[in-house]
Amino acid sequence: MLGTAIIVFREVLEAALIVGIVMAASIGARGRGLWVSCGIAAGVIGAGLVALFAAKIAAAASGIGQELLNATILLLAVGMLGWHNIWMSRHGRELAVTARAVGDAVISGSRPLYVLAVVVGLAVLREGSETVLFLYGIAAGGGVGAGSFITGGALGLAGGVAVGTALYLGLLRIPTRRLFTVTSWMVLLLAAGMAAQAAGYLVQADLLPPLGDAVWDTSGVLTEDSVLGKALHTLIGYVSRPDGIQILLYVATLAAIWLLTRLVGRPVKPRTVGSLSRGAATPLLVILLLGATGAGSAAHAQLKVRYPIVDYREVEIEPFGDITFDKPKSGLSNNQRYTIEYGFGPLPNWFVEVGHELAAPNGENITYDATEIESYLQLTPTGKYFGDLAMFAEYEHPLHRGDPKSFAFGPLAQTEFGEIAGIGALHTLNLLFKRTVGNNRTDATEFDPAWQSRLLLNPLFQPGLEYYGQINEILNPGKAADQQHRIGPAFVGVNNFAPYGKLKYEVGYLFGLTDATPRGTVRFRLEYEIPF
Amino acid sequence: MPRPALFPLALIFAIATPAAAQEPTYTLVVKDHKFQPTEIEIPAGKKIALIVKNEDPTPEEFESVELRREKVIPGGEQIIVYIGPLKPGRYEFFGDFNPATARGHIVVK
Repeated sequence: MLGTAIIVFREVLEAALIVGIVMAASIGARGRGLWVSCGIAAGVIGAGLVALFAAKIAAAASGIGQELLNATILLLAVGMLGWHNIWMSRHGRELAVTARAVGDAVISGSRPLYVLAVVVGLAVLREGSETVLFLYGIAAGGGVGAGSFITGGALGLAGGVAVGTALYLGLLRIPTRRLFTVTSWMVLLLAAGMAAQAAGYLVQADLLPPLGDAVWDTSGVLTEDSVLGKALHTLIGYVSRPDGIQILLYVATLAAIWLLTRLVGRPVKPRTVGSLSRGAATPLLVILLLGATGAGSAAHAQLKVRYPIVDYREVEIEPFGDITFDKPKSGLSNNQRYTIEYGFGPLPNWFVEVGHELAAPNGENITYDATEIESYLQLTPTGKYFGDLAMFAEYEHPLHRGDPKSFAFGPLAQTEFGEIAGIGALHTLNLLFKRTVGNNRTDATEFDPAWQSRLLLNPLFQPGLEYYGQINEILNPGKAADQQHRIGPAFVGVNNFAPYGKLKYEVGYLFGLTDATPRGTVRFRLEYEIPF
Repeated sequence: MPRPALFPLALIFAIATPAAAQEPTYTLVVKDHKFQPTEIEIPAGKKIALIVKNEDPTPEEFESVELRREKVIPGGEQIIVYIGPLKPGRYEFFGDFNPATARGHIVVK
């Protein structure tokens, strides 16, 4: 009976601690009890289903279904927790003001409670499914009497809930004003810990390189077996013998969420006459501001040629961006856009990337613009045919609700063909189509062709020529002057720092060919790839 | 007006099967809530694949705190866990659902 109680307690503890934090983080919000209850209920049902289909899941995806499921659940929760923090930093001040106005009683408003409900549901789902399997094993295995089995399970459950409640009550003793700061920090650490845990599962499934086994070992001081170790494992992501990649993901998650709350979370200040006159001290700034209000923004598709060959068993980080130049008042000058993508090649023919885009339209501050996820599916074995072919797909989710979400897809083709003075040339063509969905969508299909040809002179230095086009409605292309067309030189190179990975660079200058295109655009791209 | 069909998206996001494991493989059997064998010797500095077969009708969870591995094995099924590269030493593992009886260790040399 005691054995059953201890195991159930350990499984319940993690979910209970998360529920405790979530309840404290949502204090004062109307309807939170209902949301959290729904989250728990959905989690319990989900846990039952996962347990029921355990054999199917274990066998899925060539035997790594469990790891994929766990990592997906954890990363979803990380996303939700991150979003919660970003939202809170944006609206936290309003909440505090409202709280004071209504005497700290009820903070209404549309707080994203569903986000927290999903986190609770996922936590219950993950821990609950193991509990169900364990209890099923005992029940089916016999040996233990029904009475002692039920008592043990109930005791374990009660113990876990008690610890979660204690955490919640402890947090309630913090004054409301400071409570949100404390819970935001706890949520941040919770998210970082979950990201590290997800990394652990992906290493176990051989989908991520460990980047160093047991970088340090504090198991002599505290192991995750102990109740305190397990609690800290959940709360701050404590691991006594972490893999390098776990540390990396922990720090990256901390940094990413913290940075995003800083960048996105700042309350938006409308541009006023005051700020304009303040800028008058700098004539250039005034011109830039006037330019921004005078003409519409000249948004353009990402300027990069995508290659069809999948980097199997590689992880990569890829920052790239561009800056436009034109006459100051045209509205086409000084549009900046920067993207950082994180990529991963788990399969010989499939590569996936997630990225975030930062943009600074003419004269405005740089802000978070959109989140994107990209998929590269290589269709032909590398080098088997005349050319290599891949299908590309991208989903872009803008930060501002008014902006439409979009899907882009199309073929990527590449071939080595022809030579100049005995030097081979590589040609790449992208034909991407883009459709918007959701709020403020249009019925237009945007067409973004891109082409690059370069001479394979030396791995470190390959000069070439590039073209990028953008036709906002392919079915009604309109005058050439309204379309965007760019052409110009580019330089590409790569250096292999084995075993530390490869560093690629690309720089280019593009001349605008039409009135709608900025006269000049500078683009850059860096790629750091680590094989595993 | 013609609209692009959505079915290519399903194709694009589809996941193909990964290549078969090339790592040296070791096998562990769970029977009567015990591991057989209880000791496995593997080389240091090398990644291996460990197949754990559960011959019991009830589920078990292969877990090792030292190796940071945990994976449920449904009754009558088998799983694969990748381990290493490891430093020389002794690494305990256990069955989380029957920790009293299901115990073993990996010796890395």
